[in-house]
Amino acid sequence: MPAAEPYPLDALGPQGPYRARNRETVTDTAGRTVAELGLVPRLFVTRALTALRRATPLPRERRLTALARAARVFREEEVHGLTYEAYERTVARVSGIPLPAVRSAADEIADSARRALAGAYGALPGGAVLDWQDARTRTGSAVWTRRGEVLAVNAAGNHPAPHALWLEALALGYRIAIRPSRREPFTPHRLVAALRTAGFADDHVVLLPTDHAVADEVLTGADLSLVYGGDDVVRRYAADPDVLVQGPGRAKILVTAGADWRAHLDTMVDSIAHHGGMKCVNATAVLVEGDPAPVARALAERLAALPSLPAEDEKAGLPVQPVERARTLERHLLARAEGTTAHLGGAGVVDELVGEGAVLRPAVFEVPHLSGDWHTVELPFPCVWVAPWSRSDGTAPLGDSLVLGVLTGDELDDTDAELIDELVADRTIRNVHVGDHPTHWMDRSVPHDGYLGEFLMHSKTVIRG
Amino acid sequence: MTVAAGTVATRTPPCRTWPKGSPPMSAADPLLELPYGTVPDPDAFLRAAIRWHFSKETGAPFWLDRVGRLDFDPIETIRTFDDLKRFPNVANELREVRAEDLIPRGYGARPEIVGVFDSGGTTGAPKRVVMLQEWLDMLLAHSDAQLDAHGVPRGTNWLLAIPSGPHMVGASFQQLVAGRGGLAFAVDIDPRWVKRIIARGDRAEADAYTEHLVDQLQHPLRSQDIGVLMLTPPVLERLCRRDELVELVREKVRAIMWVGTQLDPDTRHLYRTELFPDTVLCSGFGNTMTLGHVTERPGLGDDDPCVYDPFSPYMTYNVVDLEARRPVEYGERGRVVMHYVGKSLFLPNNVERDEATRIRPLPGQVGDSVADIAPVREFDDEKVIEGVY
Repeated sequence: MPAAEPYPLDALGPQGPYRARNRETVTDTAGRTVAELGLVPRLFVTRALTALRRATPLPRERRLTALARAARVFREEEVHGLTYEAYERTVARVSGIPLPAVRSAADEIADSARRALAGAYGALPGGAVLDWQDARTRTGSAVWTRRGEVLAVNAAGNHPAPHALWLEALALGYRIAIRPSRREPFTPHRLVAALRTAGFADDHVVLLPTDHAVADEVLTGADLSLVYGGDDVVRRYAADPDVLVQGPGRAKILVTAGADWRAHLDTMVDSIAHHGGMKCVNATAVLVEGDPAPVARALAERLAALPSLPAEDEKAGLPVQPVERARTLERHLLARAEGTTAHLGGAGVVDELVGEGAVLRPAVFEVPHLSGDWHTVELPFPCVWVAPWSRSDGTAPLGDSLVLGVLTGDELDDTDAELIDELVADRTIRNVHVGDHPTHWMDRSVPHDGYLGEFLMHSKTVIRG
Repeated sequence: MTVAAGTVATRTPPCRTWPKGSPPMSAADPLLELPYGTVPDPDAFLRAAIRWHFSKETGAPFWLDRVGRLDFDPIETIRTFDDLKRFPNVANELREVRAEDLIPRGYGARPEIVGVFDSGGTTGAPKRVVMLQEWLDMLLAHSDAQLDAHGVPRGTNWLLAIPSGPHMVGASFQQLVAGRGGLAFAVDIDPRWVKRIIARGDRAEADAYTEHLVDQLQHPLRSQDIGVLMLTPPVLERLCRRDELVELVREKVRAIMWVGTQLDPDTRHLYRTELFPDTVLCSGFGNTMTLGHVTERPGLGDDDPCVYDPFSPYMTYNVVDLEARRPVEYGERGRVVMHYVGKSLFLPNNVERDEATRIRPLPGQVGDSVADIAPVREFDDEKVIEGVY
């Protein structure tokens, strides 16, 4: 990346790139200017969404070919003057995500582009066909159809990986408007540009950077929206069937009395600290049936060993933030941790790098009971609350989890099986990982928070002849 | 203090009544009654106005009641526009004062009045002024010249989505359109209700209100020969969501005048290039406390800020640093202080809640020109929202 001039990140509109006069500086974690992001006005959004709705999607085969081609462009080629290597370093510098995590997320996005249908068709009902001309409609069949034509994505900047998800919508024929995070607009810019290079038209997928006030225009103007955010965002859209919110993760691990937790220590540490603890699938609480103190001590010892490195370092594993934001998070953490026993990070988690922002170091707090709700506090770095749990507490404290890891003894006894029955049935737990699987385990073919296709598609009856 | 007799050149006593259309012999200094196009020497004009407003034969009761509270004699002391800052800001008193007391006695008992008009009235009681026909004629002559310079056609009908009732803009533009030889089709706006909805954060209701305005605009746009559209940027934006209306505007409308709030340069550029490339797009800026409006400076480029030149010496602006009590540099932001000096009203030193960029004035103009007028912004401290997003 040329140091002299900020990289221009322009909107990618329905008639090509659009350079707005209203430009916002994108800085790295040290406060240096890296790029200038053009923010489009409301009118541009309105017109762009109209253009998307008018456009005809590519036929399925061409969509899949273009997606596969885009995977290669995104992961390997130069896009808008930026090589892949420059891209991943820039994202690490700007977002503070450790470089290996950025690379892994880029692999995930490329994999999703190549295999988007693996996820997309996961939601296909067993009785439905894809085309009204399928022979089965002669005697009546469900046909799987889109619920809308235009999907808006109000993207998150915490991590590039969520951009893997909406590619499924593109595979299903949706036209897509991405509103990038103003903290990390590089990934969606590169991805949209790659999709265009690979064969999607300018009016099939657009990048619409906007300020906060115009964000709603992107959502209300689309047929369906995918939104990332915290509890406030979840509440705001709770009653809206056309908005799918990807809310807080609050992933947890339950260690039952029968589990040899020492044998699973690697998996627990990995669940907490994978990708710098910045993803929604990172574990933020460990609930222990029995004494939580030894577990907390062991986790603290392991997590303390992670080195403080600049995010661009090949060995980086912890997030870096501007010093001021890091200090704000630290103050918040310490205020929330009142009443707990600190095993790591009790004196603070900020480790300033000279001229490079500050590393957010791991924190481990042992909490005396579950009624203080400490275990629901999710922060964007490796921060875990270790709490006592007993069968009499029931499954409620384990709920409200994107992922629940359950560590049991090698042989499941009947009470464990009953417990897992309840956890799998619990609507507030989205995924259950039993045994030695980290909370961040994912596969293209299984749902992450339900299948996106469940939201995008519905079945209608066609009978003919 | 007393006002020295003999400082006003009273030629004849003012008439009590007269038939409409034939004004009486005036008691005022001719400097206060120059025809449009003849620009007085600003300071001589100011001194004539001060004599008129602070002489008991001609001044308004409002000022004559207050002159005793001033720590200076206006007629003796106020020599130049710079001296106006000696006056206190009395704008707040316009919320309570009897409207009749604002009319200079020199007009006699039956001056020709356009109406009593309110400021926006966002908070509490509105400020109130009286507009005389004599001034509106002058204002509209200036407006006409500005609109002509922008290429806004005459002899064409206007569709106006602007406030009427207590708001000056509605009555002014009814006359302006008639004077330019067109019919005025109007859709009413209640700006106070809109501000209330926005203040309570009810976005859906605000959207519904705007949609209601567009619903009303579509009928005259379809059935009438509309050549000029006058509306606010949010209404224009919402109108552009409907392809049919965009087509109608492209087909019929030769000029769009936007008023009321700011329009960012990117949106302005989109209108000029993508949506309405063959239509004149210009803006107006009005303020009740200066008794009217002006149109943006003609000939501005796409990247220029939207500059407004006051109708000097009647309306004048200063962009200042309020705390340091001095003008900000050209190109810098500051609070806007407005003065109105005319025969029908004297209202100096009105400090607006708005900020603007200070712009170099046109030759011969008093005070500053302004650009990017917007309410003072407030910033919140950063708060932590839990979660990874």
